[in-house]
Amino acid sequence: MSAQPAPVAETGYPWPIETARLDNGLRVVVSEDHTAPVVCVNLWYDVGSRHEPAGQTGFAHLFEHLMFEGSVHVAKTEHMRLIQGSGGSLNATTNPDRTNYFETLPVEHLELGLWLEADRMGGLVPALTQETLDNQREVVKNERRQRYDNVPYGDAWLRLLPLLYPPGHPYHHATIGSMEDLNAASLDTFKAFHQQYYAPNNAVLTVAGDVTPAEVFALAEKYFGALESVSDIPPAPRGHITGAATEPVHETVTGKVPAPRVYLSHRTHPFGTAGYDAITVLATVLGSGRGSRLYQRLADGARIAQPDYIGAYGVDLAHAPAPLIVTATAKDGVDAEQLAAGVAEVLDSMATEPVTEAELERAKALLTTSWWRQMSTVGGRADTLSRYATQFGDATSAAYRLPQWQSVTAGDILDAARTLNPESRVTLTYLPDEGTDQ
Amino acid sequence: MSLVATRPGPGDSRPYAFPDIQRVSVAGGEVVAAHMPGQYLATAALLLDAGGARESAGREGTATVLAKCLEEGTTTRDSAAFALALEGLGAELSTSVDWDAFRVGVSVPVGLLPRAVALLAEATRTPRLDPADVARVRDDEVTALRMDWAQPGPRADAALRMDLFGAAERYGRPLHGDPTSVAAVTVEDVTAFHESWLKRPGVLLVAGDLSRLDLAELGAAAFAGTAGEPSAPAGPLGVPIAAGRRVLLVDRPGSVQSALRLGHRAPERSNPDYVAMTLVATVLGGAFTSRLNHLIREVKGYTYGIRADFAMTRRFGRFGISTSVQTAVTAPALTDTVGEVTRTRLDGVTEEELEVARTWRAGQLTVDMQTPGSIAGALATLVVHGLPDDYYATLRRSLLDATVAEVSAAAAKHLHPEGLTVVVEGDAAVIREELVAGGLGEVVDAEV
Repeated sequence: MSAQPAPVAETGYPWPIETARLDNGLRVVVSEDHTAPVVCVNLWYDVGSRHEPAGQTGFAHLFEHLMFEGSVHVAKTEHMRLIQGSGGSLNATTNPDRTNYFETLPVEHLELGLWLEADRMGGLVPALTQETLDNQREVVKNERRQRYDNVPYGDAWLRLLPLLYPPGHPYHHATIGSMEDLNAASLDTFKAFHQQYYAPNNAVLTVAGDVTPAEVFALAEKYFGALESVSDIPPAPRGHITGAATEPVHETVTGKVPAPRVYLSHRTHPFGTAGYDAITVLATVLGSGRGSRLYQRLADGARIAQPDYIGAYGVDLAHAPAPLIVTATAKDGVDAEQLAAGVAEVLDSMATEPVTEAELERAKALLTTSWWRQMSTVGGRADTLSRYATQFGDATSAAYRLPQWQSVTAGDILDAARTLNPESRVTLTYLPDEGTDQ
Repeated sequence: MSLVATRPGPGDSRPYAFPDIQRVSVAGGEVVAAHMPGQYLATAALLLDAGGARESAGREGTATVLAKCLEEGTTTRDSAAFALALEGLGAELSTSVDWDAFRVGVSVPVGLLPRAVALLAEATRTPRLDPADVARVRDDEVTALRMDWAQPGPRADAALRMDLFGAAERYGRPLHGDPTSVAAVTVEDVTAFHESWLKRPGVLLVAGDLSRLDLAELGAAAFAGTAGEPSAPAGPLGVPIAAGRRVLLVDRPGSVQSALRLGHRAPERSNPDYVAMTLVATVLGGAFTSRLNHLIREVKGYTYGIRADFAMTRRFGRFGISTSVQTAVTAPALTDTVGEVTRTRLDGVTEEELEVARTWRAGQLTVDMQTPGSIAGALATLVVHGLPDDYYATLRRSLLDATVAEVSAAAAKHLHPEGLTVVVEGDAAVIREELVAGGLGEVVDAEV
């Protein structure tokens, strides 16, 4: 049996990366890999729910839906039909920071993917109708019901954000938005939204897979080259917050949940900083896997938490200090106070009991595997490159994340842990409603 | 307008190839491996004939409890030491139980796979199964199931399954059991299940860069200390279809949505219509552009999504539709849904729809099978259903060659809108009257 230690990566991105910028400002990133006849086309638009003014929450995400409903040369629902009809899979997501669109295709359909993306980047507004907006508004409201309102604990993220970020902060409201704002959405607002933000100079196009850079740059010029840039894209709302919160916040929700659950949360550092890398490793030590402190001490040791519902993770947001969320759910007979005290004790232990070498190596090994899992598809690679190009101006900087995680020291984690003090903590507690059957 | 107006056609098709498969017999078991040159990650999984179908009546969930107990330490190290050893490689044990098989797998950077497989085998073959640990894991599983069953869906699924297969049949009860059956699982049930089914060699599936792996070494570690022969699978269950449609109402007071589950029995996986049935389900409800999604989501705006499929195992199949709709439109959504099934049965599919379905399903093979995990899953399908090494190439051709006549014939033969069981999990006080008036079938309260 081989006995080599876990290898330390010199780079997290061993594939080639070529970049170009069209005259209209569209950044194009190409990563060549000929091992399978597949390609991913991935677009990041630098617009998310952080750009939404008061009264328009949920608009960035609702807009994402409208992008699948046709454009000047693409009939309603034809986008999906063409991608699926060529064997592709596609999706799009919106978060506070950005909106991304992506399709993985058999490589002979690369041009189709580029044509579809260009058509909706440059030609969505003329095709947008009131009927489409009304219909997709209902779809989004159902998404909200299905994912947040009708699920036990489903609204935790919706509740945490306003506790973590003050009113007016771009992360104060959740991406899904409020029913009231969605109901008030007008067609003209969406047309203006597109003209404002869906511009070539506000986007990154990444193509990864069985292609050559020269081929992709030429096709990008052919399909996107004549789109006009937008000169007056307003700067994003300021997300800067100095320091951690100065007093603890508690919220308790009584509702239809099967057991008490707590979420402890802090604002930390923006994604991409050394401080956030330390938080990422800290979260893994704390709450990822059976070897984690939370599992060992609360599920295995004190046995007050359900083993399947323990977690600690950072939410990778780049434009303001990102949240760290620590959660556990009570076992039968354990009350919320006991659970919250237990979770807080383990979280606080990160600042008083330095992580051991074994804890650190375990966390780094898990992060290494998760990194390579993300890199094991052309879709995962393309999205990563788009992210680094959009958020840090340089796709090749994606290669540094894994080595940076691996270079985090026990001292770095101790420093990070000391900023997570109870005075700046948000605690959200769910209690079962007496009226529900347990 | 500065856009290119003409939709580009496809470029030259590039050949699709499933990874080369290597088979090695060693230490009484078989290694089935797929070569993925240049992959940084590798996956290995033990595939054992120990699926949910092996469980005793009233003790459904035994295999799932056992799967969780595998991480509670081994005869040579306790649970904390085992977790540190495994997670120190960056691996986590992924276990799964389906009707036909029990799977235990690991994914790690390829150089670490031999050490990860040794730990995988240690956990699977020689778990500690300390009675106190087993009882605690069982209790945790009951609690976790209760959490899960508090969500909309599981109770509706259980009501449908019970109605289609009957309480006396293992397949009539939930795959992973329910809170009651898992609570009844004893320590002896778990140790006996391990003794009977997890000590046979089984098959080791490997997907990764085989130039960096020694399959015989991996197999020797996976099969050490095992004995026994594979047992012959039992025959298919048949396809009884109900004489009339029924609506089962599962009450969920205060629910803002109704979870809908519609279904009937279908043939098992080895049925020669497998490809045509897959395409029927794709046209009806397998794709975003399917008939059901188009009507119920895109035209009516009733739901966030709706799916239809044929689930087919070694011994049985079932046709099913699944969605959640807002409470107020429960009855019209059901009427429209059943209407699309009826239309598909009577009128078949169109060439335009089928063209999308067949190229999508065929292209999906290329697009989906990029990762060691997905390739290992594909190998499991080959082994469980006794399919040949060139199966995926053949499947791709069969999908692309399927005709409108064949697929329409499969729709006529395998869709039974009049025999559907319709399960509605929602606020009974609000929707009952409308369901009765809707006339889809007799409305019956389901106790789940």
